[in-house]
Amino acid sequence: MNPYVLSILLISLGLGTTLTFMSSHWLLAWMGLEINTLAIIPLMAQKHHPRAVEATTKYFLIQATAAAMILFAASTNAWICGQWDINQMSHPLTSAMTMTALALKIGLAPLHLWLPEVLQGITLTTGLILSTWQKLAPLALIIQTANNTHPFLLTTLALCSTLVGGWGGLNQTQLRKILAYSSIAHLGWMILVSQMAPQMTIIALITYIVMTTAAFLMLNNINSTKIITLASAWTKAPALTALTCLVLLSLGGLPPLTGFMPKWLIIQELANQGLAATATIIALTALLSLYFYLRLTHALTLTLSPQITNATTPWRTPNKQPTLALSLFTIMATCLLPITPTIFTLMT
Amino acid sequence: MSYLFCMWLVLLILGLVAVASNPAPYFAALGLVVVAGAGCAVLAGFGASFLAVVLFLIYLGGMLVVFAYSAALAAEPHPEGWWDVSVLEYVIFYLVGVGVAVAYFSSEWYNYLLPVVSVCKEFFVLCEDVGGVGVMYSLGGGLLVICASVLLLSLFVVLELVRGASRGALRAV
Repeated sequence: MNPYVLSILLISLGLGTTLTFMSSHWLLAWMGLEINTLAIIPLMAQKHHPRAVEATTKYFLIQATAAAMILFAASTNAWICGQWDINQMSHPLTSAMTMTALALKIGLAPLHLWLPEVLQGITLTTGLILSTWQKLAPLALIIQTANNTHPFLLTTLALCSTLVGGWGGLNQTQLRKILAYSSIAHLGWMILVSQMAPQMTIIALITYIVMTTAAFLMLNNINSTKIITLASAWTKAPALTALTCLVLLSLGGLPPLTGFMPKWLIIQELANQGLAATATIIALTALLSLYFYLRLTHALTLTLSPQITNATTPWRTPNKQPTLALSLFTIMATCLLPITPTIFTLMT
Repeated sequence: MSYLFCMWLVLLILGLVAVASNPAPYFAALGLVVVAGAGCAVLAGFGASFLAVVLFLIYLGGMLVVFAYSAALAAEPHPEGWWDVSVLEYVIFYLVGVGVAVAYFSSEWYNYLLPVVSVCKEFFVLCEDVGGVGVMYSLGGGLLVICASVLLLSLFVVLELVRGASRGALRAV
């Protein structure tokens, strides 16, 4: 792709999210979402491959549907209540419709089915943009409208997402699909507390972005998209492979790692609100997710296939790929738990 | 006027049913023509005559012609009509759905509909939509700049997606 065109697309990607962030008017927020969708499309279809084009088409159709639903709900709200303010979308019909459309946009269950299919068709770096930067604008809108949405809808979306995110990833062998299901499960956690404690949603979002960026960059570095190629990853980068195991367990939410922090704080918040049953269910569904992260860890580091590598092992040759972002995000994804009080104070 | 108006509204719904029920793009284009025409008539009836003309010229004259042209190049030669059983099922389903919705909402949605027809239009010199055009160019100037840049962006997006015969993205090469 021409670097000028690439820079225009990336700048527009930034412009769309920023527009949605700064707007208090539904029309401007909708414009930002549409700019986001438009700008990512050529990046997704960058490799002119039928699978990538299919994924791009699916993504475009889903995002266009969701954006049209948001516009419809906003104009219905303006018709009924006479104002376009995002924070004051008070009519139950329109707020429920908007939340459903935003759930479709970021892929919350039961509207999640496009996400694994789309992520499977594109490259790991584009998948990284899709599962981090593209989630920001809809999540900002979700946080702003969650106050006026019925709690039943939010809890249903959240519990469905964590359940489906855990269940769907169980039997997958494709890493991008597993990461997509992990994204669905994490988004479920974020949505659950978006009404009672929006700052927890932001903490969960930040930690998710850090962890998933580390995971995507690592898989990109060892150039692997299937479980079967994970088994020989140690021949490429032994130290990185050992760290990948930690990052995956951090995504699963095991205690000494960063991923434990959002789960801990969210469950504490749920307990403070007296929602013991919801907290128990969501903690149990995290076990489903943990199972497939453990499965990846098992294939990656805990077993060594009993064979001799009969070529020169690639780790002897120096790695030419840029690793600055990878090392930073790996450190953050594994070691941030001790500064939980700092992050918590920063956010609240 | 009311009878004519009701006719346009019914035509709008029937056109949407035609678009939604038939899988062939030829008939979908035909239905969209009906929808766009009836929609413009409804807009003009509500007092937004400038908006109706703009919608008619741009949507029907520009976009739909191109869509019908490309559909005629790509679609199958023997499309299903509305009287085939597979399509007729959908037609009946949508019509019954519309009927149920009308029966359910007829008491309360009329209240939403009524004030839109005449919002104190005796007090204004201009139509609402002509006034809106003025506001769009004065107060909404920044947004117009953003809209223009998005048009430029979508030009680049389309060019990037379809340029080159060997690198055409929309077919397998």
